[in-house]
Order: sequence, then structure tokens, then C-alpha cells
Amino acid sequence: MLFNSVIFLFAFLPVCYAVFWALRTTQSRYIWLAVTGYVFYAYWDVRFCLLMLFSTLVSYFAGLAMLRWDDDARKRKLCLVIPVVVDLSLLGFFKYTNFFLDTVADVTRAFGGAPSIRHLNVILPIGISFYTFHTISYIVDSYRRVIKPTRNFFEFSAYVSLFSQLVAGPIVRFRQIEADLEAIGTTSRTTWLRAGISFFIVGLVEKVIIADSLAAFVDPALASHATLSTWGTWLAMIGYSFQLYFDFSGYSTMAVGLGYLFGIRIPQNFNSPYKALDPSDFWRRWHISLSTVMRDYLYIPLGGSRDGERRTYRNLFITMLLGGLWHGASWTFVIWGAYHGVLLLTYRRFAQSWDRLPALARQGMMFLFAVIGWVFFRATTMGMAWSLLGRMFVPTSGALVPNATLAVPLVVIAAIWALFGPNPFELRLEREWKGRLVLTASFAASLALILGSRPSPFLYFQF
Amino acid sequence: MIATLRTVAHVLVFLAVLELACRIDDTVRFGTPLLSRILSSDDLREHDGTSVRGRPNARFQKWVLNEQGLRGPSIKEGRTPGVIRVVTVGASETFGLTETAGREFPRQLEDSLNAARVQRPSLPAFEVLNASLPGMSLPTIDQDLRHRVRSLAPDIVLVYPSPSFYVDRDPPHPSTGDRRSGDLPASRALRPRVVARLNGSLKSLIPAPVMRRLRQRDIDQVVAPEPEGWRFTTIPEARLRLFDRDLRAMVGTIREIGAMPVLATHANAFMMRSSANDDLALAWVRFYPRATATTLIGFDSAAREVTLQVGRDSGVVAVDVAAALARSSGHVFSDFVHFTDLGASHVATALRDPMLVVAAHADARRVASTRNAHMQASPQ
Repeated sequence: MLFNSVIFLFAFLPVCYAVFWALRTTQSRYIWLAVTGYVFYAYWDVRFCLLMLFSTLVSYFAGLAMLRWDDDARKRKLCLVIPVVVDLSLLGFFKYTNFFLDTVADVTRAFGGAPSIRHLNVILPIGISFYTFHTISYIVDSYRRVIKPTRNFFEFSAYVSLFSQLVAGPIVRFRQIEADLEAIGTTSRTTWLRAGISFFIVGLVEKVIIADSLAAFVDPALASHATLSTWGTWLAMIGYSFQLYFDFSGYSTMAVGLGYLFGIRIPQNFNSPYKALDPSDFWRRWHISLSTVMRDYLYIPLGGSRDGERRTYRNLFITMLLGGLWHGASWTFVIWGAYHGVLLLTYRRFAQSWDRLPALARQGMMFLFAVIGWVFFRATTMGMAWSLLGRMFVPTSGALVPNATLAVPLVVIAAIWALFGPNPFELRLEREWKGRLVLTASFAASLALILGSRPSPFLYFQF
Repeated sequence: MIATLRTVAHVLVFLAVLELACRIDDTVRFGTPLLSRILSSDDLREHDGTSVRGRPNARFQKWVLNEQGLRGPSIKEGRTPGVIRVVTVGASETFGLTETAGREFPRQLEDSLNAARVQRPSLPAFEVLNASLPGMSLPTIDQDLRHRVRSLAPDIVLVYPSPSFYVDRDPPHPSTGDRRSGDLPASRALRPRVVARLNGSLKSLIPAPVMRRLRQRDIDQVVAPEPEGWRFTTIPEARLRLFDRDLRAMVGTIREIGAMPVLATHANAFMMRSSANDDLALAWVRFYPRATATTLIGFDSAAREVTLQVGRDSGVVAVDVAAALARSSGHVFSDFVHFTDLGASHVATALRDPMLVVAAHADARRVASTRNAHMQASPQ
């Protein structure tokens, strides 16, 4: 079920909302949130629910065990290792098995062998990368005593299966919403209502009006990328850069809005990333929840910047490499992660010179670097990535993009908003009457588009 | 007071933007004018005293008619020398109700026929004109052939008949002058377009069991007031004979207008066991409540035999599209009879080789008639 679908807007959400606020006790609201999360998830494939339930049970009992053996360091460590291994094994099996088999086959072939390795018929459960990180962060934070594991299964289950952040994040850590979950039985319905509606509508505009309109020319252009000219390829890739941003930011903003509607404040996931002035700044603004998870659960445990320059570079690079791989089981994502790793290292090395450049030049160049990186992110094969880069940097004749007369103004509008405009957390249109009127108009426009076409899935669902 | 005014302002802004956004979206996606008077696919047709035909330059959503009222790109005035002109006639299946624009089978057939020239350069070029419209039965097609298609001077007319019209309440009949429809009234341009979008979307929300009940209720409401025995519970032989008669008459009409007929058997989703289910059958029966699902499916099969027999009797190529689709794999039907893009591509593939054979005859016939015309025109 998609946030931008008729069934979600007119059936699922109203029922969820009405029943949630009709329930009076904390426990009943936890149960309701957990149930709705599973219903939402089952809409894709009911089998996926079993996997999520299993992951939830493992982490929940590990949390209970940590409470029980609070003084026993060895047992506590086991309670950390077992669920993390289980979660990572599930993720590894469902997401990376075929990637691993393909790589083994390619390497064997490269050495003259004739591999007889076949693909496994594995379906990637939607959202597994996200809820796995939810449960892992819960266990690690429990182990570190950052949080106290909950004894309430439904509270934990509501946290894992919260439909607003279930399939594409943000990766919300238990500690970030723990207070709101604890207070869920006493929260007032109206406290966050306007903010929730505002975030949801702005997210809807980002997704339905901007991202999907960009997709109308970006997708066909990149599907026939071999026919594009240099200008066409740049236009398609810049269009894709904005499409990806508005698509994912739109989803995250809607998730924030939905959270607010149920009294749960989900943190900001995008802070105008294309306003970033350098690679470091970019990662503080893009997919913030992932960046901070990678920082707290990988980069810092690896040593962070504590053990000298070379170790810092190594840790940064490994973190970015694995961050790339988290996005997808493909070498294109690994290269994308490595590319950003190199950008971060280079910036770290030359930060003083870079920071002396005018802000606009730094912003422009950072955007350019991001666009080049998105080539690897978007390409389905390495061949496609090289072909796109070749067309971008070697003057090539060919086609522009389909519907170029519409595509250019669309990209300009998207660029103005993304590069210079306010992000949803700065907009806060609900605060004034005129702003609320703009929200009404925006919702009407989005609704017209939703009613007129099939909902398009969010790009980050594939991860 | 201020709060009330603000609420009213919100409602007005919401409704105005909703409608405006629908119109702008139609314009951007389909090129529909902001003040178009065409509100449904039915408006693409116009009736006069002589026939039912496509409304020239009409467009509704993905369906665009050219200046001749044909689905597809504009055609040049007159014939291009050396090009075989094929006209396809039929109902919504041929019109391409459910395929992506440009992927309906007549368009794919044109591509396939012209692609064959790459390997066999001696073949003539082809243009395929799609003169079909939703709701066209054999008698109305026959009228259209005489009045409009004739003027297009086709070399070949491909007929993809829809037999299910023959199990409707009354048998299909030619258009009479009583349903004239000229220009659509200007007031239609102001009718809210959001209503149609809303209807379509809300329909998709109805759960399958409820939808099944609603369909069954619709069928029962039609059947209930009728006398016992009214419903076709077995294949109505008289109707089948009528289909046979009309198809034979059409072959004659096509020959009369100087073209070579090609017949195609009608396919349905129930020939492929994997894609047939009760809901789908019920959805089909809802359009033809006089027949039970078994009768409807049986009649289609019987009509296939009739089509092949008419082909044999009349010396006309009859392509068994139904059999070709029954053998194919994949998702080829988007509902009970309409095609997906893949289905339309299978139809085009099934038709291509037989059409090439007929085209060779048509080409030879055209060369001979041109030579005769030259000989008659040249001085003794």
C-alpha cells in the first residue's frame, strides 16, 4: 500500500486514525498500531509479515534477556550478538545471496572457469533493510544502556511495524520516539494534528507533483540512454537527481506527518541536501537517519576519527562502502558508496582550500558531484553507468529527452525549490491561515493527479 | 463569522484547484483541450442517419482520433503509390481500449508488416488505418464500410468481429437515423472532470466480494422482469446464424468496395485456463446479461468456428487469432476480451504472415489494374 494511493488515503488512513483515537488505553493503541502495521505490510505480501514478526520476536526477547542478565556481561553480549547475527543473516540471505552467487560466478569466469551457479529464487521482502536496522539499533542501544529495553511486546511491535516508517524509513531509533510511545495513551489528538497534516501534504506534493512529473521524462529517457545526446544525458541525470530527492524526501515528509497524526514525532530525514556546500555537509543533510545510524553503529565502533588520519580515512571509506552496499546488492551501489567515500576523504584532506571558495561555487560543485554519483546509483549495470558517464563527458550527438519542452521547466522548478527553497521543516505552512489555504490547494492538486493515474511506487522501496 | 468564511474559502479553493488540476493534467498527459466537450470514450463516436463513425479530431484521455475519425496518426489525402493500405474494423478490442496508446494491435500490425520488409525488400510498404470504434457490431461496421471506409480506398479490410453483441438483449442492427448526434453542446465543457476520476478511483476501492455482489445484483435486476426462458442458457442457434449471415454480408461489402477481406477469429480470456475466473466471467456477463457465462463463452467459441467456415466458403483468409492467443503465454488479456500490450503484440504476430500473403495478391491486383488503366488511357 502506498501513501499516494486512493486506498491508503480514503480507506486505510481514515480507519486507522479514527480507531486509534477512539481507543483510550496505551496498550490498546500499541496493539492497534502493531496490527495496522502488519495489515499495511501484508498488502504487499502476507508472507513478509512472518519474517518481520520473527525479527521482532528475536529482538524483543533479546531485550528481555538483557534486562534479566543485567549484571552478567557475557550473557548480555550473547543477547547482543545473537539477534544482530540473526537480523544480518536474514538481510544477507534475502538481499545479498544472488549478488554473492553472481560475483562468485563472475570471478570464476574471469579465471577461465565455467561456473554452474544458479540464482536462488529469493524474493526481497520490501522494507527489510529498514526494519532490520530498527531492530539492530534497538538491541545495540539496549546493550549500550542508552535505552532500557521495553517489557511491553506491543510497544516494541508498534515501534518495529509502525506503518509510517516501515518500508522506506526514516530509520527511527527507539530512543528517538520512546518518549512519545510511552505517552501514547495520554497524548492529545489535536496537539500535532495541524503539523501532521501539513507535513503529509507537503510530502504528497514533493512525491506526486514534483517527483512523479520528473519521472515522466527521466524514466523513458534513461530507459533508452544509448540514444541520448550529451545535453540529453545531463538533463536526464539532473532530472533524476531531483526526482530521487523529491521522491524520498516526499516519502520521509509524509512519514513524519503520519507520525505526528498519531502523536509520534519522527525526526527529519532530509535537510535541503542540495544546499550542501561540501561532501561532509551533504551527508549531514541527505538521508540523515541512515547517516547517523552508519556513524553511530559502524564508523564510531570502527574507531571513528580517534586513531589518526589514516585510520580515520579507512573508517570513513569502509562506512561509505557499506552504506552503498546497504542500498542495493549490486556493484553499482558499491561504486557509488566508494565514490562518496573518496569525496569525503578528499574533502577532509583539502577542506581548508575548499572552504575558501565562494559559497555558491561550493554548492554548485557539490551538486555536480552528487549528480555524477547518482549515475552509479541509477544505473542498473556498470555498462550503463559507463555509457552514461561517457555521454556526459564526451560530446555525443543524439536525442534530448522525451517531452523536452515540459522537462526543462519542470527541472528548473525542481531546482529552484531544492537548491534555494525551504524544506518541509522550514515551511510549516500550517501556522498561518494563508499557509493553510496553500495546503488545501496543494492537497487538491495532488489528489487530482492521484485520482487520474495509478500510484507510482517510491524509489527507495527497492532498498 | 470569520471562521465560517475561512471554511468556505477552503472548500471553494479545494474544489476549484481539484478541477483545474484535473484539466491541466489531462492537457499535459493527453493533449486534451482545457475546455474539451468530450467526457467519455462514448463521445468519440458520432451517429448520423447513415452510420456510426469516429468523431473527427476527437480525443479523450489516451484515445486520439485523427481528422478522418480514425484512431491513429493523421493520414495523407489520397493514396501513396506503392503502399498497401489495410483498414482494420471491429469494436473496442480492435480500437485498443486497454492497451497503451500506440500499442493497440493495428499499430503493432503496421510495425510488424513494415519490419518484414527489412528481410524481404521486395515487399510493399504498409499503412494500417484503424477504423474500429467501441460498440461497433457487424451491421454498423457494414454501414461504415459503405459510407466512410470506401472513400479510404483500402486494399485490404481486416475484420475482427465481436460475437458477444449477438447475445445481447436484441440482435445488433444497423444504425438508424433516430440517434443523430452532431456537435456536442458547449455546456459539456464545463462539466466537472473530477467526477469521472473520482468514480474510477472509488471503484478500485471496492473489495472483490462486494464487487461480485454488485455485479450479480445488476445482472439480476435485468433478468428478473423478463419472462421465463428469456435468458440464453444454451447457445442461441438463431443468433449464431445471424452472425454467420452478417459476416458473409460483410465479406460481400468489402469486395464491393474493391478491397480484399481478411477475417480474424475472436479471442477471449477464458480460452486460457490460467486467466479465467468467476469474477471475470461475471464482469463480462454484466454487459450481456441475457446470456449466462457458459453461453457467452460457448457462443464465442461457436462464432470462431463460423468465422473459419465463412473464410473457407468465401475463399477468404481467416486467421485463427483465438487459437494463437490460447497457445501464447504471459498476461495477454487485461479483462475478458481486451488485450494487454503483450496480447496486442501476439495478435499482430498471428496476423502478420497471413496478411503478407494477402498483401502480395492485393499488390499484384493493384499493379494489374494500374496497367489496365494506363492501357485504356494511352492513345491507340
